[in-house]
Amino acid sequence: MSGYYTKLRARRTYRWEGKPTSEDRKLKRRYYGSLSIAVDRRPAEAVVSVGQYILIEGHDDDNPFVAQLLKLFCDDNGNKKAEVQWFVRMCEIHQNKRKLLGRSPHPQEVFYYQDRSCDNEVDAETILGSVQVCVYKAPFPDRENKDTLFVKLVWDTKAFRIMDPELFQPPQSPKSPPPYQHAPRVRALPTPDPTVMKRAMIGVHTRSSMSTGKMGTSEAESAHSASKLSAAKVLNMKRRSRISSNPNIRKKLDLCSEFSSIILLADANNEQCIFLLLTDRLHVSSVPESLPCREQEFQDIYSFVESKIMDGTGGCMYISGVPGTGKTATVHEVIRSLLQAAEQDEIPHFRFIEINGMRMTDPHQAYVQILQKLTDQKATADHAAALLEKRFSMPAPKKETTVLLVDELDLLWTRKQNVMYNLFDWPTRRHARLVVLTIANTMDLPERIMMNRVASRLGLTRMSFQPYNFKQLQQIITSRLNRVKAFEEDALQLISRKVAALSGDARRCLDICRRATEICEHSGQQGGTKLVGMSHVMEALDEMFSSSYITAIRCASLQEQLFLRAVIAEFRRLGLEEATFQQVFVQHQGLCRMEGLQPISVSEGLAVCQRLGACRLLLLEPSRLDLLLRVRLNVSQDDVLYALKAD
Amino acid sequence: MSKRKSREAHLAVGDCVAQVQRILRERFCHQRLPDRPVGLESQYKHLLELLRRTAVHGESNSVLIVGPRGAGKTMLLRCALRELLELQEVKQNVLQVHLSGLLQTDDRIALKEITRQLHLENVVGDKVFGSFAENLVFLLEALKRGDKSSSRPVFFILEEFDLFAHHKNQTLLYNLLDVSQSAQAPVAVVGLTCRLDVLELLEKRVKSRFSHRQIHLLSCMSFCQYLDAFRSELALPDDFPDSKFSQEWNLNVSELCEEKSVQEILQKHFNSCKDFRSLHLLLLLALTRVSVSNPTLRAVDILEASRMSSADSKANILHGLSVLELCLIIAMKHLNDIYEGEPFNFQMVHNEFKKFIQRKSHSIHNFEKPVVIKAFEHLLQLELIRPVDGGVCKVQREYQLMRLMLDHTQVMEALQRYPQCPTDVKQWAISAFG
Repeated sequence: MSGYYTKLRARRTYRWEGKPTSEDRKLKRRYYGSLSIAVDRRPAEAVVSVGQYILIEGHDDDNPFVAQLLKLFCDDNGNKKAEVQWFVRMCEIHQNKRKLLGRSPHPQEVFYYQDRSCDNEVDAETILGSVQVCVYKAPFPDRENKDTLFVKLVWDTKAFRIMDPELFQPPQSPKSPPPYQHAPRVRALPTPDPTVMKRAMIGVHTRSSMSTGKMGTSEAESAHSASKLSAAKVLNMKRRSRISSNPNIRKKLDLCSEFSSIILLADANNEQCIFLLLTDRLHVSSVPESLPCREQEFQDIYSFVESKIMDGTGGCMYISGVPGTGKTATVHEVIRSLLQAAEQDEIPHFRFIEINGMRMTDPHQAYVQILQKLTDQKATADHAAALLEKRFSMPAPKKETTVLLVDELDLLWTRKQNVMYNLFDWPTRRHARLVVLTIANTMDLPERIMMNRVASRLGLTRMSFQPYNFKQLQQIITSRLNRVKAFEEDALQLISRKVAALSGDARRCLDICRRATEICEHSGQQGGTKLVGMSHVMEALDEMFSSSYITAIRCASLQEQLFLRAVIAEFRRLGLEEATFQQVFVQHQGLCRMEGLQPISVSEGLAVCQRLGACRLLLLEPSRLDLLLRVRLNVSQDDVLYALKAD
Repeated sequence: MSKRKSREAHLAVGDCVAQVQRILRERFCHQRLPDRPVGLESQYKHLLELLRRTAVHGESNSVLIVGPRGAGKTMLLRCALRELLELQEVKQNVLQVHLSGLLQTDDRIALKEITRQLHLENVVGDKVFGSFAENLVFLLEALKRGDKSSSRPVFFILEEFDLFAHHKNQTLLYNLLDVSQSAQAPVAVVGLTCRLDVLELLEKRVKSRFSHRQIHLLSCMSFCQYLDAFRSELALPDDFPDSKFSQEWNLNVSELCEEKSVQEILQKHFNSCKDFRSLHLLLLLALTRVSVSNPTLRAVDILEASRMSSADSKANILHGLSVLELCLIIAMKHLNDIYEGEPFNFQMVHNEFKKFIQRKSHSIHNFEKPVVIKAFEHLLQLELIRPVDGGVCKVQREYQLMRLMLDHTQVMEALQRYPQCPTDVKQWAISAFG
């Protein structure tokens, strides 16, 4: 029986200890000094009071979160809440940044956590109990006391710093002012981060409420609204300035001038070098400094993701467009700019995760990949789904916004659509802070393949990338070439018009340019200015787009040509577009005699037929049908006759 | 001195023939590469340049080599690789992965093969091979980590490229082509296929990632070039041990080319099929007839080889039939003529056969019906006749509908060649409408 009970989590009951120390009427909060925690089947009650170090329940049962209790209060709904200063363990820090510490951490070492984007308010009922935390300047003690944790450094999500002794208030004096007032948290530029707002406001309030009751609240209110207003203003201004003085544009211009000077230098001595440089720049893989012709889309996606990150909320966006219109590139560009902004502390930090439907063997692998990229854990698909579900639905503190890019969304389709459902459902959870950007080719994918409940969760934030028109394609090439005069004006025009008429696929356009450059390079025309001209472009276009059926028919052997003629003759006789081999073969024999050739045997005839079938000039049934296999033409009769007449 | 030399030459006739057999068979059967691809110079240059760019400059590329069977696609590629690998820096750096659509029938097998050929099998997890999903993630990760300047270029060579397009979601093709279009490890994806419509098989996003470079191998060989090829394929090399024998042999080959009958045979072959494989087959059959007693190639040998290679596959089967079975086939042929190719059953054939026995035959016994059924079933077993819809067993055997799998000409030819065929049977076959 006892074995059975150990499996269950012990139920805890929470009770305020003593009377409220103060009350905030505006926010309808009552503040308390301490909280007692009673655990089932344990006689003693634990008491935690303000200023003490506590353990808070998290994802990991072995390593609960550590924090210092700053405040205990009861909000307007009667829920018990606590405000805390977080400490992080080494295992909670992102793996890539662990090496910044420069030494191996002590197993019981924690770090004072300094990050404004993190939610400092937790449910008081997640508190597990108190813990000992000591500051150490000297080397860590060797004695093994599992209950004591050590603090030495501050972690501000970018670097470890030596702890400011003022930050750390020993728990012996709970009456002393809370440490956050000394903490270097006052930011030059306020941003509408709700947690920060709230904390600032509460700070003002508590101080004032200690001195005078009613006046303090009004003061707090005004401070609150003022800070909010100014924050919004500053944010708007900042956004506007970012748009007007886009750092990318500046960068591009800088590069331009630099690059052209290089070319001028190189022009004199080495032509080979230019061509190499050209093909390099025209390769699809080269990452351009800016994405021309996608400014509007860039701006829309940028503001969508930015606003979600700022507000700490979640959302979905669906991006569609035919292949090669820059969907993935634009999203990557947005993320790059956002990461830059986060680096410069303009917006809170966030995680970026990318999955691609084509890069997984099964739609359910999406869970595994997301989990692995988030936490470096390996799990089976089902387990990963459960873990992610827990992660996104639990009100976990210290959570950054996650931006998830799902490329080739249509391949995540399953019969029950549970993968898509989950992906779009998570952002709607209150504590998820997940932004999902999805990319696919078809504009009406949500209507066509998704069930109503999935499509509804995806929402209506949609964007479609139009195929490039010829002007845009031209602009793309010129921006890639960066003022190097390598193409004749007409040649560029021809390429962009041709591609725009076919598909509007920028990849195709660049491929043609690259091929034309190669042809030009090898044309062997020495001396003079080597520009890629119309003839080179025509040759490249011919190579890539011309149908090879007609050449194939012209190059076929005589018997194969005769067989094609026999097929057409038989079709005309039957009035159908289909005939059996036997019928065609009779015609073939007749044609042979007319041409004065020795008739071929049935086996040879069948071999001829199979060869044409392998090239797909003919469509054939499987050859075990022998004489009865049905033959159809895969090219139009006119094409065959044209090809055969010409010689 | 001179005496000894001449004696040596005499002694070597047997050896010489053995040498000739060895050299030429290697040439015909082992797909030995020629020194330079013949008639494909521009395509060769294009492919070589493209591979060189990947190997030396680290520029990713993708290309399709399209041409009918036997046009020399693999030969072209292997020649280009051979020339490229002569460069020391390329030889040390380049990794090659050879896949074939006929062997790697799905992406799971293909991935395993890629990991094996890149010698990465011990790196995936702790196991020799991880699961399919792990493998894919690992491989993509490995390719993604690389960059243009520091990683070794990889050539992916996909034979029977069209079969890869039938894999689920075209995952492998998408990922390979995607790597070739992004700033990851430099790869060259070379696909070989004989289908002209291969691009239509690719899904649109896979197609968009393919560079659309196609090298078409469509030979416009003239008969003169074909004759030259014939001569050079048979010619013995200069370093043949016995120079006198090789001179005689080469002279003989040149004379053969001039000969009218040989030219006719070659013209016939050329008309039916231009590629080198069929020429090799013909020459191999001719070569088997060269022996010590017959140390040179004669026109007769080539004639015989041509007869063998163009023989009809059903002629021999017809040759071994009994007269009764032959009569049944003739009856079927008449039924086909009367009903314009409509299917028939045993009863109809038997009636036709009985009519022939009663009216015209003088030499054939009146066989019992079971005997005739037995003969009919033998024909069924030889697949000279075939039941119409896959042999549904509901109807009695005598009434099951059948079709004759022989052409009119095949029946007549078989009758001509049949040893001691009764005259009345021949007459019956020739006469219209039984």
